[in-house]
Amino acid sequence: MEIDNDVAMQDAAEEPLDPTLDEDAGTEHQDGVQTREGPGSSGIADHKASKPLQLDDGNIGQLDRWIEHLGSCQVLSEEDVGRLCKMAVDVLQFESNVQPVNVPVTICGDVHGQFHDLMELFKIGGPCPDTNYLFMGDYVDRGYYSVETVSYLVAMKVRYPKRITILRGNHESRQITQVYGFYDECLRKYGSANVWKMFTDLFDYFPITALVDNKVFCLHGGLSPMIETVDQVRELNRIQEVPHEGPMCDLLWSDPDDRGGWGISPRGAGFTFGQDISEQFNHTNDLSLIARAHQLVMEGYAWSHQQSVVTIFSAPNYCYRCGNQAAIMEFDENHNRQFLQYDPSMRPGEPTVSRKTPDYFL
Amino acid sequence: MDNRRIPKHGISMIQVNQAREAFAQTARARDPRIASNPRHQATAAPISNDIIPRVPPSPPRHKCNNPKNPSCPHCSAVIIPAPKATLPAEDTPSISIADWKVSTRKKPILNSKELEDWEVILGGLTLPEMIFGNSFVRIENEKTGWSLDFNALDALKAVKMEDSGIRVSYANKWINSKREQQRTSELDENSLQIGQHYDWTYTTNYKGTVRNGNCDKHFIQDDSLELPIDKLTRPDPILFYDDMILFEDELADNGISMINVKVRVMNERALVLSRFFLRVDGVLFRVYDTRVYVEFNESKVLREYKEHETDYKTVLGRQNSGPSKDPKAILRDSNWVVQQLPLLRRECETIQL
Repeated sequence: MEIDNDVAMQDAAEEPLDPTLDEDAGTEHQDGVQTREGPGSSGIADHKASKPLQLDDGNIGQLDRWIEHLGSCQVLSEEDVGRLCKMAVDVLQFESNVQPVNVPVTICGDVHGQFHDLMELFKIGGPCPDTNYLFMGDYVDRGYYSVETVSYLVAMKVRYPKRITILRGNHESRQITQVYGFYDECLRKYGSANVWKMFTDLFDYFPITALVDNKVFCLHGGLSPMIETVDQVRELNRIQEVPHEGPMCDLLWSDPDDRGGWGISPRGAGFTFGQDISEQFNHTNDLSLIARAHQLVMEGYAWSHQQSVVTIFSAPNYCYRCGNQAAIMEFDENHNRQFLQYDPSMRPGEPTVSRKTPDYFL
Repeated sequence: MDNRRIPKHGISMIQVNQAREAFAQTARARDPRIASNPRHQATAAPISNDIIPRVPPSPPRHKCNNPKNPSCPHCSAVIIPAPKATLPAEDTPSISIADWKVSTRKKPILNSKELEDWEVILGGLTLPEMIFGNSFVRIENEKTGWSLDFNALDALKAVKMEDSGIRVSYANKWINSKREQQRTSELDENSLQIGQHYDWTYTTNYKGTVRNGNCDKHFIQDDSLELPIDKLTRPDPILFYDDMILFEDELADNGISMINVKVRVMNERALVLSRFFLRVDGVLFRVYDTRVYVEFNESKVLREYKEHETDYKTVLGRQNSGPSKDPKAILRDSNWVVQQLPLLRRECETIQL
């Protein structure tokens, strides 16, 4: 077993403050959003650092204040989101397409803006950074608190970079968030699309897969016919909008299927992969398991392909109406797996039933 | 890190309390007095005797079949089911009026075992992502045993196991790039086959499931019939209301396909609207509506079925939200969308019990 040698100390290390950090965040962000459109227009990545962000007393204090604020389900100001995203670029740009993760770690699936259920997840799984976490994407869309959820996770990532890993899901994309709610939510909560631009620009830097102790391959969707080895994932250029086709698209979109081999969805795009494919991939890469998210399952987790693949879904009562349980998977030093299932969080004074007012529909 | 969690042995007290609280919330959510909407507290407009010669009996003739419902100030029993409980208790609220009974049930999505069973029943159909397979809306005539229900299983039985011909907006681009890869032999031939043919849009012309009971009568088609809009637009107090989804699928984030069923029961009549709503982003919209209207005193049921459809661009072009609004938000509102779609087909039928 490898020793987790780069964990706590670096997080807490005192390094001289990068003088460009704070000042740049403000001005950058102003230039960016007002003059340009399209990917990169938020300006959060205009002045990337050449080495990973170093934490010091100043930015640790700021991050802790943000985390506390976000923890009570309140959004950061637009300026602070800009500062946070800029810091996050300087953490995430140095991560690998196949981000190595040490054991023990708790692996989580889709969250989809269900902020209070994310807090419940940390209660069930243990607080971060005491517990290491790996999230496999889909933080935004559909739930009511996409902004708070993604801000919180990104702030945790910047604060505890070795303790939490956040992968990209197919919803961490400009196109999908315009359809499924995140864009709309940013407009409602901030009055403009600036925050949406910053986050979607940041999403381009999220790693797309992770490898836990060289044995568990974690990603949002599934395998790709273009990818036979984990090394091939390392060669991809991931810093871009999720493309409509190609290996990066497949990794974020594909689903396991009972039918063997590769299949094309009758929708006309998107792959499914059979048990033979999963077994071959695990064999070639000396893996014990593929862990993925992306699909709703009533029990919060589901095995497929005779335990070569596991699906983990961490949004209980998905969309506030499915009544499903959520689950997370603990993976310990001895490679034991344990699933923790949980129900939606109950909040005093806040109805969990979204009562619909009777209407005189016709 | 070993003691970071409370061990989960025995019955979890928290779970029990959560279940209690969830149930209490469900019951509270039903109480119309808590609701802020003044509409259903307003006294109904006087019912015109020109339309129905019989004056509604007083005191109210309906019977609340669920003792957990709060009583209402003017007729002592209003039933307004909450959409769902978080930890669902078995709950099948219903109301009886004259010979009729209207009931609903809402349960969570199917679990893995149920999904396996359904796959067999439905001949291997790749099932939609969310199936509320134990939920239903039912209208029954207690005298004859005739009933009409709306449920997900029967709705999915009407989904065709053949290619719908519809493809997502970027399908051509996607498949061409695969073909290109195939030519350079990165992909083998088999990987370009569609795994299984079924209508992935889950389009269904489901109009509800009829059970005859002891009744030998059937629906008779008469497209000239119309729903009595005048009666349905009167603000008669709603005694029972529910709104539920039977199934929903987000088409791998290419849009949405869903059936939503609403029911409202007034003193003299009931209306059910079962709506199939399909949006394939960049491609098309479809709304198939089934309305069931019951006039209690006449024991008459009218069922109207309408199909609406048009291309995506046409509908997108009709929205005119300002620059600070999300232009696509309105495309999720089926009530707005259906007004933009041409009617392609209409059928109407009636049964006199």
